[in-house]
Amino acid sequence: MSVIQARGLRKVFRTGFLMRTVEPVRGVDLDVREGEIFGFIGPNGAGKTTTIKMLTGLILPSSGEATIHGVPVPLPESRRGLGFMPEGTYFHDYLTGREFLDFHGRLLGVPRAMRERSIPELLQKVGLPHAGDLRIRRYSKGMRQRIGLAQALLGDPDLLILDEPMSGLDPIGRKDVRELILQLRDAGKTIFFTSHILADAELLCDQVAIILKGQIAHHGYLGELLGQEIEGVDLVVEQIDEALYERLKQEARRAVVQGTRYLFELPDEAHAEKALKLVLEAGGRVRSLSPRRRSLEDLLVSDLQADSATARSEGEVER
Amino acid sequence: MSGLARLGAFAHNTFREAVRDKLLYNLLLFAGLMIASSVVLAKLHVGYDERIYRDVGLAAIALFGTLIAIFVGINLLHREISLHTVYSMLAKPVQRYEFLLGKYLGLVGLLAVEISIMASFFLAVLWIKGSPPTAGLGWAIQLIFLELALVTAIAIFFSSFTTPYLAGMFTLALWIIGHLLGDIRAFGLQDGAEAYKPLTEFLYWCLPNLDRLDIKAEAADGKVIELARVGLSSLYAVLYSAALLVAGSFLFSRRDFR
Repeated sequence: MSVIQARGLRKVFRTGFLMRTVEPVRGVDLDVREGEIFGFIGPNGAGKTTTIKMLTGLILPSSGEATIHGVPVPLPESRRGLGFMPEGTYFHDYLTGREFLDFHGRLLGVPRAMRERSIPELLQKVGLPHAGDLRIRRYSKGMRQRIGLAQALLGDPDLLILDEPMSGLDPIGRKDVRELILQLRDAGKTIFFTSHILADAELLCDQVAIILKGQIAHHGYLGELLGQEIEGVDLVVEQIDEALYERLKQEARRAVVQGTRYLFELPDEAHAEKALKLVLEAGGRVRSLSPRRRSLEDLLVSDLQADSATARSEGEVER
Repeated sequence: MSGLARLGAFAHNTFREAVRDKLLYNLLLFAGLMIASSVVLAKLHVGYDERIYRDVGLAAIALFGTLIAIFVGINLLHREISLHTVYSMLAKPVQRYEFLLGKYLGLVGLLAVEISIMASFFLAVLWIKGSPPTAGLGWAIQLIFLELALVTAIAIFFSSFTTPYLAGMFTLALWIIGHLLGDIRAFGLQDGAEAYKPLTEFLYWCLPNLDRLDIKAEAADGKVIELARVGLSSLYAVLYSAALLVAGSFLFSRRDFR
């Protein structure tokens, strides 16, 4: 069952004195299924945040339609059972973390007794157990991100929409948030999130949609989008001489010297086997041998390259 | 959960934000200084002591109340939008009009507290100087409060669709025009000004007539003020504020938060 469904979602803004039209979202279709982690990926300015704002009722669509839990957006009922964390760390900084969560709990209609019980638990869950009585003004960016996440978890929503949840966090914070997202999925929640950190998205998502210039370029399960074929093999070796290095370089797409280690990016398994044999025969040490599959980054970069090539050729035709 | 409870949550948070804002305390301090200055001014005009205490006290309450209504009011709504704090609130199952009305009620609550503080200080000055408070002063303060509630509704109305700078300018302009509507109408009724009459009549009947709520001079003079007049003026302020809030809510519900 689709928790979020969008068909032909489009937004046109009029800006400036001359009311020029800008169309950041041009007919987006989405299907986010129950219990899945859905990554909404794209470069800056691709239309991710505008789409999310249309889903959460902050921006009214120019055309198209969307439903959340079957209720048309932007009706307030569509936001029942939805936890939203906006991009950035824009919260009432004159409030303490506890006051902030209490206020948002009141907006959700969480009874006082339940708020008093759940707020300390949420602060604990997002790693802020000692910062509840500190004003948000004094929080670091990472702490603001965490309190924003706690706010989204108030009222135990079934669906979480998180706009760049890992942004501004240090590596430990990112790991904590990744683990929390996986725990929430295991607890049956549906998570729709945007990220520009593609490695995180690849680690977490069941489904992804890649948005470019306001349109969905790819949409599907990670396995389907990235395929299972090996795109190359990375070989890391030590204790080889100059002659062998030069020989292996001929087999590789790219060779990198990292101190006493040598990294060879080999084009396929056949080249990898040949290179491995050469190293072992020469008495070199193999540190690692790992197949390289297509990544989200590869997919996004190839889309961006294709897009800029199209733009260049259109420019040439116009000239 | 009822909309009333959400209104209460928004109003409480607005009030809390305002009382944690230093600007409010600065304005209150200046209001206190102005009320206290009436003691010095009275010494310069021997024989008019009581009139000066009352005049300056009521003027200070009205002036600083208006400054708080316009600047704190516009700033509070603008901050929610420009600092993007509105995102996490309006993405909850709330109606946008609940947010706008909640902000308004929080501000009106703030004005009530602020006027109570200034009025207490004003009454303390009168008591110290042996000038007895009259019922007229009480009615004047009530109408100042309702005028400020109306000015806040004007500020909220403009803030619902335009920038804080323009909202401030428009509100200030309406506040000035609202106190001159009697003169504007009188101008249109003069001989030789017939061509302007439709315009002056339109302005008189459509724009908020703040002059109707101003009984400070009569109260300072110690004149008896009819209850019916206070009642009708109060009703006028409440209905006008309600109309502005309905219009503001409609415009706010169509606004995109980019």
